Amino acid sequence: MIFREAEDSDLIQGARRGKVEAYNVLVSRWERRVYNYLLRLVGDREDALDLAQEVFLKAYQSLGKLHDASRFAPWLFRIAHNEAFSHLRRRRPDTDAPAEPAQPLRGPRLLPVELSLAVESALARLTAEQREAVLLKIFQGFKFEEIAEALDCPVSTVKSRVYTALDLLKESLAPMDRRGVE
Amino acid sequence: MSCKRIDLKGYFLGELAEAERRETEAHVRACGECREELERLGATRAALAALPEEEPPRKIAFVSDKIFEPRWWQRFWHSGPQLGFASAAVLAVAILAHAFLRPGSTAPPPAQAVDTAAIEARIEGEVSRRLQAAVEKAAMESEARQSQRTAELVQALERKFEQQRQADLLAVEENMDMLRKRWNVMYMASSELGGTQ
Repeated sequence: MIFREAEDSDLIQGARRGKVEAYNVLVSRWERRVYNYLLRLVGDREDALDLAQEVFLKAYQSLGKLHDASRFAPWLFRIAHNEAFSHLRRRRPDTDAPAEPAQPLRGPRLLPVELSLAVESALARLTAEQREAVLLKIFQGFKFEEIAEALDCPVSTVKSRVYTALDLLKESLAPMDRRGVE
Repeated sequence: MSCKRIDLKGYFLGELAEAERRETEAHVRACGECREELERLGATRAALAALPEEEPPRKIAFVSDKIFEPRWWQRFWHSGPQLGFASAAVLAVAILAHAFLRPGSTAPPPAQAVDTAAIEARIEGEVSRRLQAAVEKAAMESEARQSQRTAELVQALERKFEQQRQADLLAVEENMDMLRKRWNVMYMASSELGGTQ
């Protein structure tokens, strides 16, 4: 992990000096994680890809504002968070609260189908903030402090969102998972 | 310790400090209810893991664009540490060369206490002096290039204006000549007509 961070720092320095190829390497390392985070939040592959492109473009243009290269990950996900929630607000302009992805993902699914559907459905029942907290904690493996940095909110808020979301998911998925395993 | 004081989710998510983690482990070993809760959390995470990560449909990549590339002064500014290091190295070599090659000195002077703060201040001063000089030189060169270009443009315009003026004068002279000839023809014709009458 330390080596990885050092390499990312080198790439960031290169990109700051105008080396686009260095930035492309950085993008190739992070695009899958950013894309999947956006996909689970907005629920549409094309939208997620467009947003991911926008995230990396904005990140490139703002690299000069990143003072500590070792904080690249939370910084990048902060941009992704802003893009995703702007998109959700545009999609549902009549509500103040960020909207939820109304329907399960479109497109081909991987087996086991039943379990994937159950997970998508359980995630869709969470609020956008709770879902995002689960995505960053469980799927992306960030620490609470990093998530708080990315979302620009207190650690206690992050903790509360993750815990509530886990309780809700547990109600739907723990029995479902047992049935699937049996 | 009672179950209410246990942060089971924090333990499950790996967010507890070492001491708290050990306390929770001891509690879970002794408490069936918390063990069951931990199993349900594990089952939830296993279910979530069934949702596969997807590859982006297309790779994201950028091509070089002059608009986004930093200007020469930005590159120069961002190269501060390297520039500082290079300047410090040059200065150190110069100091050493001066010490060893000074006329009348065949051996290095006796070791003296090194005033690092003074050296650092000197290096810093030298770096900032060179940086300032480089920026000023670049600005003056740019200004000189601009002035030269303006002078060339003015000269070219003057040449063009003079050529146009000469062409206009020639055209006026030719027209006047033509008018004079026509007037002469008309005058001669009228004289002949008067003579015959």
